[in-house]
Amino acid sequence: MKAVGKWWFVAGTILFLAQDLGAQVRGTIFGPGSRSYPIAVSPLRNLSDGAVGRELGTRFADILERDLVISGYFRLIDRSAHIEQPDTSGTEAENINFDSWAVLGALGLVKGTFRLEGDIVTVEAKLFDVAQRRQLVGRRYRGPVDLVRRMAHRFADETILQFTGERGPFDSRIAFVSNRDGRFKEVYTMSLDGGDLQQVTKAQSITVSPSWSPDVRYLLYTSYKKGNPDLFLLDTLSGRELVLSGRSGLNLGGRFSPDGSTIAMTLEEGANSEIVLLDRSGDLIQKLTDHWAIDVSPSWSPDGRQIAFCSNRSGTPQIYVMNADGTGVRRITYEGDYNTAPAWSPKGDRIAFVRRYEGGFNIFTMRPDGSDVKQLTQAAGNNEDPSWSPDGRYILFSSNRSGRKKLYVMDAAGINQVQLTHGGGDDTSPAWSRWLD
Amino acid sequence: MVSRVLVVAALALVVVLPGCPGRKKAPGAAGQGAGLEERGIDTAGSLERFKAGEKLSGDSGPLKDVHFAFDSYELDEEARAILRENANWLQDNSREKVEIEGHCDERGTVEYNLALGAKRARAVKDYLVSLGIAADRMTTISYGEELPLCTEHTEECWAKNRRAHFVLLGD
Repeated sequence: MKAVGKWWFVAGTILFLAQDLGAQVRGTIFGPGSRSYPIAVSPLRNLSDGAVGRELGTRFADILERDLVISGYFRLIDRSAHIEQPDTSGTEAENINFDSWAVLGALGLVKGTFRLEGDIVTVEAKLFDVAQRRQLVGRRYRGPVDLVRRMAHRFADETILQFTGERGPFDSRIAFVSNRDGRFKEVYTMSLDGGDLQQVTKAQSITVSPSWSPDVRYLLYTSYKKGNPDLFLLDTLSGRELVLSGRSGLNLGGRFSPDGSTIAMTLEEGANSEIVLLDRSGDLIQKLTDHWAIDVSPSWSPDGRQIAFCSNRSGTPQIYVMNADGTGVRRITYEGDYNTAPAWSPKGDRIAFVRRYEGGFNIFTMRPDGSDVKQLTQAAGNNEDPSWSPDGRYILFSSNRSGRKKLYVMDAAGINQVQLTHGGGDDTSPAWSRWLD
Repeated sequence: MVSRVLVVAALALVVVLPGCPGRKKAPGAAGQGAGLEERGIDTAGSLERFKAGEKLSGDSGPLKDVHFAFDSYELDEEARAILRENANWLQDNSREKVEIEGHCDERGTVEYNLALGAKRARAVKDYLVSLGIAADRMTTISYGEELPLCTEHTEECWAKNRRAHFVLLGD
C-alpha cells in the first residue's frame, strides 16, 4: 500500500508574503450558491530555465479554477478571453494591466509565478482586486512537484477566506467506498476535485463506512475481510492496518471523537445493535445505548459533548441526540417514517440527515433540537450519506441521479450541486476530512 | 469449505460439487438405479460466493429463504410456515449447524441496513429456537444491503433481496 504521507509536510514550508490586506472586502454579502463574483485565474508564469515543467502553471490554474467553481462563490472569466498572457506580463500590482482585466468584467484576479528546480517547485500566487489595482493576498509555496495540486487547493482556501472571511474547505481529503475496480468494495481517498485518487484498502471483500481521525492520519472502516464485519484502523502514513474491534457480529461505523481520544461505534450484542465507546486501542470504555431496538450511526457534536444517532426504538428509524455519556436521550425527528444517517456540522449549528420522503431518499438539515428542517436535495434520484466540509459550508453526498451512485457536493443550502466522481462502479459513503494542517 | 451431497434412499455417496448447487437425477434413474435422488447442498455463504465471483444462491438447499417487508424484521405467516419446514429438516438432520444470513434491499442507509439485517437473522433464529432447535446450532451474520441476489431497481427485485438465507455449516 502506498503511504500518503506526502500530504502532511507542505504546511511548514509556506511563507507569508502579505497579510490581511483583504480586510476591507470581507463581509461582502453573498452566499456560496450565488456564483456572483467574477474572477480571472491566469496560468502561472514560468520562471524556470528552459521549458521544463511548463504545464505546471496551467495545472495550478486549472485546479484553482475548479475549486472556485465548486465553492459556488465565483464566476470564472473564460481563459480564452484573457488579454494579458502569463509569459509576457507582470505579476506585481505595479506592472499588471488591470484595465485589460476590467474590460472582461473581472473584479478579482489571480496571477503568479513558478520555478522548477529539480523536483522542487516554488509557487508564488497572488490575489488582486482589479478595481482597486492592489494585491489582496500573496502566498509562496515550496515543495515536491507533486504537491502543486495541494498548493492550488490551499490558495483556493485562501482566496475564499479573503472574500468571505472564512477559509475554504479544499485542502482536505475525501475517503469513500467504491467498487470501481471490480466487484469488491474498497476504500479510496481523493481531493475534493477528484485529484490524487488512491485506493487505500485491498481487502477484496466488502468494506463500508470509512471515517477520518481528526488529524487526518488514520482511517476507520468496517470490513468483512476476515469474514466478520470488524472495525479496522488504517495508518495512512505507514500503511499499517489493524483490527481495532473484532467482536462477534457488527463492529460498525466507528467515529473518532473531536479530540481524537475515543471512538463511538455500533456493536452487536445478541444481534441487537448498541452504540458503545471505545478507547484508541479498541477496549470498551462504556455502552452508550441500552435498548432492544436498532441504534446505529453515531455522529459527534463538534464540542464532543453530544452524539446524534439513528434508532428505530419508536418503530421507525428516527434521529436522536444523547449526551456523550449516554444520558439525556431525546428524539429530534418526528416527521416521516425513515430518518437516518445523522451528520453533525463542524460549526455545531445543523445536523444533516437522510429522510425517505415520497418513496425517494433525500438530504435534509435541521437544528440540533430538531427545528427548522430544510430539504436540500429533491427530484433527482436518491441522495444519501451526507458528510460536512471542514468549514461547515458544504455537504458531500452520494446520489444515483445519473444512474450509478456517484459523489456530489453542494453548499449547506442545497445550491450549486456539483458531481465530483464519474465513470464505472458505485461511489458511496463519502467522509470529508478536516483540513490537512 | 467443500460442498457436500445429501444422500437420500440410504445410499452413501460423496461427490464434490464446488459452487454447484441444484438437483439432478442420478444416472440410470429409470433402470436399476431407480430411487436415488442426488443434489448439491450449498455450504458456501453469500460472502464466500461473492468473493469467488459466483452467483449468490437463493433457495438452492433444503432450507428455504424467508422474506421481509421494507424496514421490517417481522416474520409474517408465510415466513413462519417456511421456517416450520426448515425446523423439521433441522430436526431430521440434527447434526447440521447453520448460519443464518440477514439481507436487505438496496434502499436506505448502509449502516442502518446492516443493523436491520442482524435483526432479521436474529428474528429467524429466535423463531427456530421457539420451535425446539438448539440455539448453539445456529449462528447469525448480517450483510445489510451489500450482497443482493437481484440487482435491478424494482420492487420485485427488492422483495427477493429482503431475505434471511441459510447456509449449512456441516456438523
